[in-house]
Amino acid sequence: MRKKLISMLLCATMVATVFTGCGSSDDTDDKASSGTSEQKDSGDKDASGSIKLTLWGAEGDQDFLKDIVSKFESTYSDQKFDISIGVESESSAKDTVLTDIEAAADVYSFASDQISDLVRAGALANLDDVSEVLTKANKKLDDVKSANVPDSIEAATVDGKMYAFPTSGANTYFLYYDKSKISEKDAANWDTLLAAAKKSGKKVGMTLNSGWYLASFFYGAGFTTGLNADGTTTMDWNGTSPDGIKGTDVVKSMLDIASNPAFMAVTDGKLSDTLKSGSCSAIISGTWDAGLASEVWGKNYAAIKLPTFTVGDKQVQMHPAYGYKLEAVNAYSENMGWAVLLAEFIANEESQTKHFELAEQVPTNVKALEVDAIKKNIAVAAATSQADFGVIQEVGGKYWDPAKTFGEMIAKGKLKAKDDAGIQKALDNLVAGVTAALD
Amino acid sequence: MANQTKGGAAEAIGGFFKAIGGFFSGFGTAVAKGDLFVKLSLLWWGAGYARRKQYIKAVIMTALEAAVILFTIFFAMDYVPKFGSLGTVKAEKVFNPDTMKSEFNNYDHSFKILLFSLFSFVVWFAAIIVWMKNMMNVYKLQQMDEAGEHINTFEEDLKTYVGEKFHITLLTLPVLGVIVFTLIPILLLVFVAFTNYDQNHMPPSQLFSWVGFTNFITLFGGGGLTSTFGYAFVRVLGWTLVWAFFSTLTTYIGGILLSLLLNSKKTRAPKFWRFLFVVTIAVPQFVSLLLVRNFFADNGIVNTICDNIHLTGFLKDIGLVGTNYIPFLSAPGWAHVMIIIINIWVGVPYQMLIATGVLMNIPSDQLESAKVDGAKPFQIFRKITMPYMLFITGPALVTDFVKNVNNFNVIYLLTQDVYTTTDQAMANSQAQEVDLLVTWLFRLTQDYYNYKMASVIGIIVFIICAVFTLVAFNFMIKGDKEGTYQ
Repeated sequence: MRKKLISMLLCATMVATVFTGCGSSDDTDDKASSGTSEQKDSGDKDASGSIKLTLWGAEGDQDFLKDIVSKFESTYSDQKFDISIGVESESSAKDTVLTDIEAAADVYSFASDQISDLVRAGALANLDDVSEVLTKANKKLDDVKSANVPDSIEAATVDGKMYAFPTSGANTYFLYYDKSKISEKDAANWDTLLAAAKKSGKKVGMTLNSGWYLASFFYGAGFTTGLNADGTTTMDWNGTSPDGIKGTDVVKSMLDIASNPAFMAVTDGKLSDTLKSGSCSAIISGTWDAGLASEVWGKNYAAIKLPTFTVGDKQVQMHPAYGYKLEAVNAYSENMGWAVLLAEFIANEESQTKHFELAEQVPTNVKALEVDAIKKNIAVAAATSQADFGVIQEVGGKYWDPAKTFGEMIAKGKLKAKDDAGIQKALDNLVAGVTAALD
Repeated sequence: MANQTKGGAAEAIGGFFKAIGGFFSGFGTAVAKGDLFVKLSLLWWGAGYARRKQYIKAVIMTALEAAVILFTIFFAMDYVPKFGSLGTVKAEKVFNPDTMKSEFNNYDHSFKILLFSLFSFVVWFAAIIVWMKNMMNVYKLQQMDEAGEHINTFEEDLKTYVGEKFHITLLTLPVLGVIVFTLIPILLLVFVAFTNYDQNHMPPSQLFSWVGFTNFITLFGGGGLTSTFGYAFVRVLGWTLVWAFFSTLTTYIGGILLSLLLNSKKTRAPKFWRFLFVVTIAVPQFVSLLLVRNFFADNGIVNTICDNIHLTGFLKDIGLVGTNYIPFLSAPGWAHVMIIIINIWVGVPYQMLIATGVLMNIPSDQLESAKVDGAKPFQIFRKITMPYMLFITGPALVTDFVKNVNNFNVIYLLTQDVYTTTDQAMANSQAQEVDLLVTWLFRLTQDYYNYKMASVIGIIVFIICAVFTLVAFNFMIKGDKEGTYQ
């Protein structure tokens, strides 16, 4: 038995060493060519001299991207390209990219709330460092900055450095409602909104168990979140805001709303289903549900900014998280220069206009926003009307789970409006969890 | 009899160490008593074969030696010397507008250093075994030569691999597969548990390094005031064990009862019923689980029905439910029970098939003689059927338990996007009450890139499964039970 075992091992190891013996030379070659700085100009061009690039975009954007890529290729017709397009949703781009940065696409689209994690992992190219290449497009980085809405540039900037090109905006949420059941005046604040919904026998839907939606109450009351250089999050919700509103009072107002029979707490990600079911006469969602809402309510479809809520005897405007979609250039791209040019091309005025035509993505380019079709779009008007008070949500990875749980506690009535100490303790726990060091 | 088994186990372990001892002494003897060429084989692997005129073997061994040396110089030396620090040079790049490319410095990639160092260690370990075994072989050749025995030609050697050494030919690929696909990943997991590989230390832009037992201390409750890993770990572990126990038990018992029912002579059309149950296997599990999840969602179809028949109102009146719906899958307690019940529905058909097979093989003479002796059906079930079942399916039961400890599908598909914890301490560690260790591990790596803690949890899962399996097998397979049924 012993002999068999040993000979088995021996045999296996022999084959193993033979294989690795062969493999080793390949690996060293590989390292020599890609790991060091002595890359030749022609290193990554194949025999025909074409530049290889990968581009990721959302599934609904594939046709748009194909169109843009062919335009890009004809714009730079003296250079051959081999551009492949893959599917990757903006909302999950970070997860895929950070799994293996070097294997990720050269250019991809992502939602602006992922920028801090991506920058900290060193996944994004610093555009200031590579801005020289934009002269090929007859532009400077400052031109890009002035061509887009200032907030969108701010969303693409971390510590004063710009890391991505804004492509579309109004990634936010607002109130859709049924004109036949709720008047525009009713929709202005939660009390009248809920009363009107109750009278019509329907409900008002909103997601509470998500840090993205939940924060609108706190931002409205003047509270903030922020991001430290080490990736930890700052949060002041357990104290008193600069506006003089206590965090516990905000929670009490939320509990008031959540316990109203006409309020429906919708599970995160189920907004479209809820809207479709027809049980709501008003719902808080984003531009992506515009088509569905107009389908459900027909000519009674309307959209407006978020309502105000009552704190004590004051009315406080909810401030939604306001995000953008950005086009990233992989910091480890083999063809950095061309990748930057492609990303800029996808983000330019013409492309943004095209993107709105094809997929109703709201442009960030100031000129592209001046188009009539955009101004007349009900959902886009509601979304962009919030641009002034919308908040670019700056939070780290530790924010989401504790905030989600806090929203769930409110939705499920785990906190009692009369129990000040309990609410304060829950807020303290929330802040402790959100601001904890990364581990 | 039990003593004998224990003795057997001790013997096996002793035998293993004896084998290792024998291996080393064989090598020692070869080095001490070998002639010049055998001794020369220490340096030149092919020397001994060349002396005995096995030239092809000599060439192969020399090539192998050269391969190992080349591997060491050109591959291993790039990584192994940095193994102690896992790299010190951070990636830096400069954009060159002329070439339109970024130029990187020769930076260290911590993960590659870890992986390729580990790979080098495995290769070197194998090379040492080959080297020692080689010495023994050439010494044996020397002895055969001295005794004037026939020394195989290369062709004759090759023939032995389809003859008396056929098992080697057969086992080479599987063993290689085990090493590459199981052993190296497991070792890598163990190593990562001792590093700070997480969101703040992600290669290639950042480096990670060794941190000793810090991660284990964090998991078991240390690690500062804000860390709630210890709190979450105890609860997740508790539910993992409760889940594994009940899910295994319920599907097992359910499967046996169902198959008894179908095997009963009074059941009409047993094949039809069996077919109905087996159909659930034919539908991919994840499809049925996602459907069931939607049925039992907070505003799913089951809740609508319960609302219409006023069950929700009744439960609310007696204080069992605090919401306007029944939180089948969204509140602790409710979700725990529902998950186990849904799992019965998913898992019973498999157990039913197994039980049916076993029941058909119960020696009918035993059953008949029991009936003649006047035993009631329940007595027969308790005294004959059940012990027989347990004996046959015992090992399968153990593997089922281990499988359920790692039952990712059922838990993840039923609770993801539906369940939100309201326990803030759990949320602060990215855990939920309904998480198994594996689903927690999955979320830590997938959403939070917390590879170090995930590795620690992975090791804990491995230890739990290994200990349970060893204990359970030792307890169940005592060797003497077989006699009872002969």
